[in-house]
Amino acid sequence: MMRLLLPLCLLCLLLCALPLHAETQPSPQLLETLEKNAGSVRTLSSDFVQEKHLSMFKNPMTSKGHLYFARPDQLRWELTAPVASGFVLKGDRGKRWHERTGRTESFQISQEPIMKLVSEQLFAWARSDFAWIKKEYRVTVLQESPALLRLEPRSAATAGFLHHLLIGFSADGRYVKNVELHEKDGDFTRIRFLNTVVNKTLPADIF
Amino acid sequence: MGDPSLNLFGRLYRYFAGRRRVLYGATLLLVALSLFASSRLRLQDDIVAMLPDDGSSAATDFRLLQLAPFTRKLVVSLKTQTPGDSAALVATADSLAQGLREAKVGKVSTGPAQLGPEFFGFLGSALPNLCGEADLKRLEAATAPEKVRDRLREGYEQLFAPEGWALKGKLQADPLSFSDLVLERLRFLNLVPNMRLVQNHFVSADGSSALITVDTTVPMTDSAASRQLMDRVDTAVKKTVPAGFSATVLSGHRYTLANADAVKRDLYLVLTLSVVAVFAIYLVFLRSMSALFVFLVPSSVLAIASGAMALWAPKVFAVTLGFGGVLLGMVDEYATMIYFACRKGGKDPALITAEVARPVLSGALATLLSFGVMLLSVLPGQRQLAVYSMTGIAAALLFSLVVLPHLVRPAPGGSLPFGGMKTLRPPRRVVLVVWCVLLAVCAFGATTVRFNGSLQAVNLVPAELKRAEVELNRTWGDLQGKALIFAEGKDLESALELNRRVFERLAPTLPPGELVSLAPLLPSEAQQRENRARWVSFWQDGRAARLERDLAREGAAFGFTGAAFAPFLATLKAPPAPLNVDGLRAAGLSELVDALVLENAGSVRVLTLVPDRPELVERLSRELGALPGVHVVSESRFGATMGGSIIRDFTRYLAITGVLVFLLVAAVFRAPSRIALVLVPVVTGVVCMLGIMGLLGLQFNIFNIAATILIIGLCVDYGIFMVSRLEDGGDETSSLAVLVSGLTTLAGLGALALARHPSMQSIGVSVLLGVGTGIPAALFVIPALRREDTP
Repeated sequence: MMRLLLPLCLLCLLLCALPLHAETQPSPQLLETLEKNAGSVRTLSSDFVQEKHLSMFKNPMTSKGHLYFARPDQLRWELTAPVASGFVLKGDRGKRWHERTGRTESFQISQEPIMKLVSEQLFAWARSDFAWIKKEYRVTVLQESPALLRLEPRSAATAGFLHHLLIGFSADGRYVKNVELHEKDGDFTRIRFLNTVVNKTLPADIF
Repeated sequence: MGDPSLNLFGRLYRYFAGRRRVLYGATLLLVALSLFASSRLRLQDDIVAMLPDDGSSAATDFRLLQLAPFTRKLVVSLKTQTPGDSAALVATADSLAQGLREAKVGKVSTGPAQLGPEFFGFLGSALPNLCGEADLKRLEAATAPEKVRDRLREGYEQLFAPEGWALKGKLQADPLSFSDLVLERLRFLNLVPNMRLVQNHFVSADGSSALITVDTTVPMTDSAASRQLMDRVDTAVKKTVPAGFSATVLSGHRYTLANADAVKRDLYLVLTLSVVAVFAIYLVFLRSMSALFVFLVPSSVLAIASGAMALWAPKVFAVTLGFGGVLLGMVDEYATMIYFACRKGGKDPALITAEVARPVLSGALATLLSFGVMLLSVLPGQRQLAVYSMTGIAAALLFSLVVLPHLVRPAPGGSLPFGGMKTLRPPRRVVLVVWCVLLAVCAFGATTVRFNGSLQAVNLVPAELKRAEVELNRTWGDLQGKALIFAEGKDLESALELNRRVFERLAPTLPPGELVSLAPLLPSEAQQRENRARWVSFWQDGRAARLERDLAREGAAFGFTGAAFAPFLATLKAPPAPLNVDGLRAAGLSELVDALVLENAGSVRVLTLVPDRPELVERLSRELGALPGVHVVSESRFGATMGGSIIRDFTRYLAITGVLVFLLVAAVFRAPSRIALVLVPVVTGVVCMLGIMGLLGLQFNIFNIAATILIIGLCVDYGIFMVSRLEDGGDETSSLAVLVSGLTTLAGLGALALARHPSMQSIGVSVLLGVGTGIPAALFVIPALRREDTP
């Protein structure tokens, strides 16, 4: 009897699990809707909590901060704990600071390959720029509502260190609610965006 | 036939008088064969014609200069009208690069190879091979516990930033940033002074331009292939560069084409104009169907000289062939002498031929001597010119003295055009006063003439290319103005060792921006071995274990695991692997390696670049001269040395020619007064040429010196003809011959003065001045002085 029951149970489990894990190609409507919803976003401000699960650390590294975004190309990423630091991007120009060292320096994004990569990612998510995202990643939909996407890098260079991304959107699809970056060696970073406010007027000197 | 008063040519006339068909047939056959041979000639229009081929340092230097990194490359500078929009600039550079790749012009590069994990791996593995005593002292300081703490805190904090993920690997492999020691050495490898990297593209410091380089296999000396290459490049530029951008293309191929085009256009112009002008002069002065044969003599001579060149050297320098116009104008004097003598008639044609042969032979001998001296030249172009000219002169002599007398019939009543110029005899005093004044003024002017021994003075650089050079230098710094220091060894190891010694001498006096050397990044294996031994002993001294403990302790305070820095600690314990060229290539530095390591069969050269400043090159040549296998080459010094040696070469020929011609004239004319008379046109021609050039502010270059030899050869002929005929009774045929041949020479040379190529133009202008004044001196001054001379 047990010999019959076990495969049956397994089959049931598998059938039940299927709808949950079925990875489908993104429907054009979903991406269009997300892009359209995000299109109405002029400014965005949000707190975030970042957890880095790195094998070189005994425990996850947790940090907190604020994110500010204004269309088309202004962004402020500010860490408040455990170390006050951050950067502002404005067009091709940028400025970074670090409270402990007291250093503030300006830079040009196009001259810093790593910063360029980071800014492309951040702006793409803030604007929900699916044209760029689809060019850079193979997109699969893990969940339609709220939208949860899995992205695998197309270029071998990015795939060299990044295995995949998981992007979760807010219920209304206007902004990203959480991001997970999974590296090839199993390390990953999770960022949760909290208290997100859309289209609030931002102080002029924030960028 | 047996008449004792007849010389060889008189007797040859008699011999062929009954065998004219054989003579004409043989002549036609010779010309036809020469034309056939000429059709196989291939033009060579590069600077090789003017490079000594005697194995001297000039030729070696020239070959070495071709090995400079950007000399071998085609460089495209793409400029945007809206600096600051680097994304658009980079995108357009990529689009142009793609267009160039599709046009199959060579290996196209917009920036250095993408520096990936291999590069950072290389930084770690290179360190043990590069660290000297001073470097280890710095490492010792960097491993002090408080420094370890600071560095780990910095790394820890960086990991929180979004860009932190990219630093994770680096922190594990090099937590104390030891690799900065290697990165510092890259400062010695900046080939483009005003360059920065934007999105891994070469972008100018002002952000206005992007640089694209093309490695092509097309040799710069191959003008046909260069034309195809540049056509493909220009098409790709036109197709892919949008409005708002402009592209400047510069390469050695452009210079080759500019010179080749100018030389070819000049050749066409010179040959066409000289043929037309000479024909017109004959029609005016010779006025007979038989004058056609006089015209045919220089034309046939041109074919024979070219045919002879084809047999001697299939590839002929264009500059040599350019002298065709000069030769055409020059060698007709023998034909016109015999023509006028035959037209006047009144004697046995054999006797006339014998009489004319004497001055013609003397004149031809003087000219052959002038050109014969050039056979001693170390410049292949000059030797070709000597062979070409001497063949033409010999053929002109044979045609004029053997064939022409049979073709020219006496004019009715022996009348000559313009009454034989008997009426054109200006008052003696006027002639002498004008001559003396002219000589005095020109002698003064000659003292003001300026010499310019630079090869650039005779090299054609069109305004468009000059502008491109200025634009590129302004945007990128002086890409090509570098002096090259070659460290040559029988293998890579010995070349690298020598290169290291060169670097050690240069580094204390030159900043990294001025000094480009591979030595800091790739020492010889022997040096690496020494460094590795020092490295191993440094860490074996309990230091590695101490550092491991410090890292564990300080790291734990930030939450790092005990294994966090295992990759780094492994490099301190593992035996370091040697560094080699392949390792550098794999790390993405192949462009640099290929530019600075030049491998040949049996030898390897490693190249170092320094600014091409004369005082610096002079000092380095002196200081590095003691190192065997080191060769300092500089374009500016090469130009100056070449110019100097060519001037010395030509000045020597000038002196030898002057002495030989004087000895010949002295042997033929003996009496000092007659010798002086013969030399009147030569002295007048040379002094006036120098004087007028000085007064007009024209510079005297190496081609003017060559032209002076020509002036001596031509003017001495006029002197010989005039004095000989005046001695023989003063008939008017020599005056007419000198006038007509002088005019045809001027016509040929006048065309050269219209040439665009500076070398041809220089010859044209100076011979025009020299011969233009030598002719009136022969026609008027010699008879005026002779009247005084004759009681």
